[in-house]
Amino acid sequence: MENPQFRSPTPGLLAGLAVALLAVVLYAAFTVQQIHRVRELQTGLVDRNRRDSLQLLRIQDNLHSLGLVIRDLLDQSEPYPLSAWEPQFARIRADLNDALRTVRKPAQAEYLERSAEQFWAAVDQTFREPDEARARRQFRDSIESRRASLASMVARLLVRNNESGQQAGTQIAAIYSRVERNVYIFLGAMLVLLLASGLWLIDANRRLFAGISHLSAQRSELARRLIGAQEDTLRHVSRELHDEFGQVLTAIGVMLQRLTRRGVTPDDGLVEAQEITQNALQSVRTLSQTLQPVLLQEQGLLPAIAWYLPTVQRQTGLTIHYEPPEPFEVDPRRAIHVFRILQEALNNVVRHAKVDEAFVRLLARTDSFMLEIEDRGRGMAVAKSPGMGLTAMRERASLIDGKIEISPGERGGTLVKLQAPR
Amino acid sequence: MTRRQLLFAAAAPNPPLGFSYTDVTGKAGLRFRHHSGAFGEKYLPETMGPGCAFLDYDQDGWPDILLLNGNDWPGHAQVGRPTMALYRNNRNGTFADVTRAAGLDFEMYALGVAVGDFDNDGYPDLYITGLGQNRLLRNNRRGGFVDVTKPSGLGNRQSFSTSALWFDYNRDGLLDLFVCNYVRWTPATDVRCSLDGKSKSYCTPEAYRGSTCWLFRNRGDGTFEDVTATSGIFDSTSKALGAAILDDDEDGWPDLLVANDTTPNRLYRNRSNGTFEEIGLRAGVAFSEDGKARAGMGVAVGAFDGSGRPGLAITNFDNEMTALYRRSAGGRYEDVAAATGVAAITRNTLGFGCEFLDADLDGRLDLLIVNGHIDDTVRNVRREASYAQPPHLLWNDGKGKFRDVAPQLGAPFYLPRVGRGLAVADFDRDGDLDLLLTTNGGVPVLLRQDLRNGHRSIRLRLQGKKSNRDGIGAVVKLLDGGETQWRMVHSGSSYLSQSELAVTFGVGRRDRVARVVIQWPSGRVDDHKNLATGRQYLCVEESAIQPDPLS
Repeated sequence: MENPQFRSPTPGLLAGLAVALLAVVLYAAFTVQQIHRVRELQTGLVDRNRRDSLQLLRIQDNLHSLGLVIRDLLDQSEPYPLSAWEPQFARIRADLNDALRTVRKPAQAEYLERSAEQFWAAVDQTFREPDEARARRQFRDSIESRRASLASMVARLLVRNNESGQQAGTQIAAIYSRVERNVYIFLGAMLVLLLASGLWLIDANRRLFAGISHLSAQRSELARRLIGAQEDTLRHVSRELHDEFGQVLTAIGVMLQRLTRRGVTPDDGLVEAQEITQNALQSVRTLSQTLQPVLLQEQGLLPAIAWYLPTVQRQTGLTIHYEPPEPFEVDPRRAIHVFRILQEALNNVVRHAKVDEAFVRLLARTDSFMLEIEDRGRGMAVAKSPGMGLTAMRERASLIDGKIEISPGERGGTLVKLQAPR
Repeated sequence: MTRRQLLFAAAAPNPPLGFSYTDVTGKAGLRFRHHSGAFGEKYLPETMGPGCAFLDYDQDGWPDILLLNGNDWPGHAQVGRPTMALYRNNRNGTFADVTRAAGLDFEMYALGVAVGDFDNDGYPDLYITGLGQNRLLRNNRRGGFVDVTKPSGLGNRQSFSTSALWFDYNRDGLLDLFVCNYVRWTPATDVRCSLDGKSKSYCTPEAYRGSTCWLFRNRGDGTFEDVTATSGIFDSTSKALGAAILDDDEDGWPDLLVANDTTPNRLYRNRSNGTFEEIGLRAGVAFSEDGKARAGMGVAVGAFDGSGRPGLAITNFDNEMTALYRRSAGGRYEDVAAATGVAAITRNTLGFGCEFLDADLDGRLDLLIVNGHIDDTVRNVRREASYAQPPHLLWNDGKGKFRDVAPQLGAPFYLPRVGRGLAVADFDRDGDLDLLLTTNGGVPVLLRQDLRNGHRSIRLRLQGKKSNRDGIGAVVKLLDGGETQWRMVHSGSSYLSQSELAVTFGVGRRDRVARVVIQWPSGRVDDHKNLATGRQYLCVEESAIQPDPLS
């Protein structure tokens, strides 16, 4: 069963991301929609209104110009016949009609257009009037008042345009404030979401680390027991080898000597048996020593090392440079692990370094000591795949509250450096 | 000039111009001083004048000078008896005052002048505009002028007339008369305006009602018919200050450009049937690019962009910028003042007289503008503005830009003046163009040009036979090496003023030019080939070109 402490935060994070994305999408959609509405209002209403207002102003300007022309026409200060004024009217008419064509067409504007048409029809008719005096009277009495009423109509349209512009402005302002409010809501929601996911992540991390350290403790305990079991087994095997096989082989040796003493002619077979027995006894003793050096228990770490290194040299052909330090005491409970680390390190040198030299240094400090095993061989690939041996070294180092560093040596190869309390 | 411009100018010295102007007013003997009659009441006409003209009234081939003058206001007589002044060219760099001998020593509140041989007798006649009754003065061919205002039918008209021009709008070989009228103003209807809120200042024309321009048809018997109404020119709202002829649609019928002050400019297209159609708005010259009716003052027509198609210049108030219109293919005019640099140069000046001329005779038309504010109290209101302002000589770089070379020319050209009128002629007959400037309430300035760049000109004096004798309205094209220069013989243009009628082409250092084509108002086309430069020719309609016997 999965330990709830170690549940992966990924699904939660994915869910949070999905929620955040959804929020962004929803918010973006809302904003885009609001912007569309603003644009619609602006182009559809405000801009059109403004254009209309400009056209209405243009119409008003034309009507004003017409007023001036009619005034000039009526004051009769010019010596020209009435027809002289026609081009001026025509010019204004062209521009006014152009403006009317451009302006939007609600009912009122259509009414304005109709009124303008009627106005121009009246103007045309007046210009056709053969009696000039009568025509001037018509300008004074009828045309001018029609013009004035057109002008006030345009003024009203302008006011209305202005009002609807203001309304659109109010609507736009409302949209802006809605968008603003939603920006705040969105930002707030995102903040809460970020805060919640942050806190949740912190909690998940904390639990993860607690789980990891628990696992680590368990593993250390396991390693300690394993190492303890291993040491017990080795001690047992060593003792068995020493006590049982050693005594058996010693007995066989004694018996073979006795045979010789009884006058049995020592033939080749007997001598060979004696030699084999002697060798086996030697091997058993060495193996027993190697598995669980009695020296270590009886005389301590330094003599054990002093015995062990020549043995390795002999067995493997590796030249080991070692200068024994001034004697110092190491806690016997620690000594076995130090020895095993030394054994493992030298094993590694023999197996992997492909060199015929190794350097072992032992240094004592006030409360601690330092052991270094260095080779100048191919170097280590330790980091890539730490084997059981290295793991065991680390575990042993931790068992004795020591610190072990396995690093590339200064001149190539590998340097194993152990520091531990004495 | 801002400090930045000054630094820039100092950092990048401009190449030498190759010409200079010398103030020869005093040396030439011009003792004239404009009298506006101002006595503190600031009557509008006081600030409008005066105009001036180069004309060869005695037909000796040497341009003479006419300077117009104002008058005292009734009840406010000041010293002396101001009259216009006619100066005869003594052919040695000096002029003689022949006003009295010419019969021009009469008083009137004169503003502008149009010079044209309306009776086709070979001698230029004058139409003097101003406040009150304008005058038509016929040249009596004996060094004098006869006032024919009344017999010609131009009498009995009170007005505030400004620029005027002669042209043959119906192409009958007789010069007709176009007159700009400004506003309806009399001392009695004067309005009090103030720039600074304290002292009275000259009003802008918004304060007054407009007044129609006039068109008078020359009947050929010494009388004129008022065709203002029947031709479609009539416009009671216009406040016209400048006018020029052009052939906008290139149909051979002269059209009219009228610069209005604060009302839309007008472009009258000749319908070729004795009537005009006003197309200013459609053509894009009525308003500024931002839709404002500007204070149009002077006008000039010239093919400044090498296209062979004439463009327009209209001087305006300060902060309005001079308009420089280029005619697009569609017949619309586009204001290229900003793109060509003219806007930036003319932003702070109030322009009046203006003319296109090839100042350095490099084959490209430059633009000369004289400036001056209308009110001497302007400095009290706007510190950057000044009453007297230096002129602009906008030198055409041939790459679509104009550069003001006036500061580079230095004094006496580049001096602040209250400039108004501007006329151009080669008064010393050395082939380059000399300038005559008038100042409001001050002395005129005669600037002799001296060229040092080795450039030459070719000058043509036209004499119509079927066409009007002055050849006014004739289009003269110089074609050489793939380039076309365009000129139109014209009366009017500028402001209240008239330049000599002879046309001057700058040809650089060329000894000869391939062709000169003259399209006469009659429709006749004369094509003259392979002409030597550096001289003046007489071009008689339907005749071979010949060196000008008067030159």
